[in-house]
Amino acid sequence: MAKYVCPICGYTYDEALGRPEDGIAPGTIWQDVPEDWVCPLCGASKSVFEGQATPEPKAVPAASTMQAQEEPLRELSVGELAALCTNLAKGCEKQYRAQEAELFSQLAAYYESRIPMSEPKDFSQLLALIEQELKSDYPAAKDTAAANQDRGSLRALTWGEKVSRILVSLLGKFEKQGDAMLDGTNVYVCDICGFVYIGNEPPEICPVCKVPSLKISMIAKEAV
Amino acid sequence: MYAVRNIRLCTKDCLCLYVCPTGATDTETGQIDRNKCISGCRVCVDTCPSHAISLVPERYPPQQEKKASVLAVMRALSASKVKQEQLFAQLEQTAPSEPARRLASAMRRSSRLMAEDVLRESGYMLPQSENVQTLLRNELESVKDEAYPKDAAKRLMELLKQ
Repeated sequence: MAKYVCPICGYTYDEALGRPEDGIAPGTIWQDVPEDWVCPLCGASKSVFEGQATPEPKAVPAASTMQAQEEPLRELSVGELAALCTNLAKGCEKQYRAQEAELFSQLAAYYESRIPMSEPKDFSQLLALIEQELKSDYPAAKDTAAANQDRGSLRALTWGEKVSRILVSLLGKFEKQGDAMLDGTNVYVCDICGFVYIGNEPPEICPVCKVPSLKISMIAKEAV
Repeated sequence: MYAVRNIRLCTKDCLCLYVCPTGATDTETGQIDRNKCISGCRVCVDTCPSHAISLVPERYPPQQEKKASVLAVMRALSASKVKQEQLFAQLEQTAPSEPARRLASAMRRSSRLMAEDVLRESGYMLPQSENVQTLLRNELESVKDEAYPKDAAKRLMELLKQ
């Protein structure tokens, strides 16, 4: 009997045990698990699960073989400056520096007001953008961070990749089910890593960054 | 290193009031009076049964240096996450149904958080860092827009200078 692992939160589906809580009897092989079954911990779709095998140790490219980026970094966009400032405001708050936090919030508000509008996209187009990112940007970035032994960046990339996968999972489901997906249920966002969860109660800890649920916020329904 | 109290954890056991040699922990705001707190004393930290008090340093070490090649790949991701945030923000305004707007709202926040995380790991983790000083200085020099909150940027440079 084989095992299948959720790449987002690490939940393991064991064919021998099944998932009786979801009506999947012990001994149910992976192919017979319903396609609309989702990870009981984080809500990821069945299609993202991976067979449990010992992965081949991945050859890490040596730092020296990575192309040195000699050209100066492009300037940060106003959108990036806004995000930078809200993050620094949080950093000040954690240090109990309320005044500095407020000043960074002022800067962030300024940059936000200067973000140019762009060509609108629908949910499917956004889904395609994130899929593209998962295919090329994340693997390239993780390789570079690993080659430079930059574990801080690797941490941010690992969380971001998992959260992006959840977004893809949810957007795919939304394409199929439409508004019914959110009928009588809530949407939650982890304040720390951005993990999105659909359900009646938030998970006890965030399946991606493991923060306790007091840091997971519900998105308020619009007042009728 | 001065003491700060996490109000969410404080269960009002008041042991910090008993042990503080200067009365710094007894205030009407719930915060510890930084001017009275003895740097590095930590008696309140050790005595608090709910672990609600910790020490915050006055000075921080220089930040870990980031390699140019790492910055380049991180910058690609901060750009795309910010872009997605903005597209979700537009959808949050224009989507035809409440559930769709709610989902867009969640994903807008999520994208912003991922952008923030990538940027903080791109050399902007610590507000007191040299990188933040340089960024604020450059913005003060280069942004000509009248609406730019110059005073806020200048004040931040002073307050965060180590």
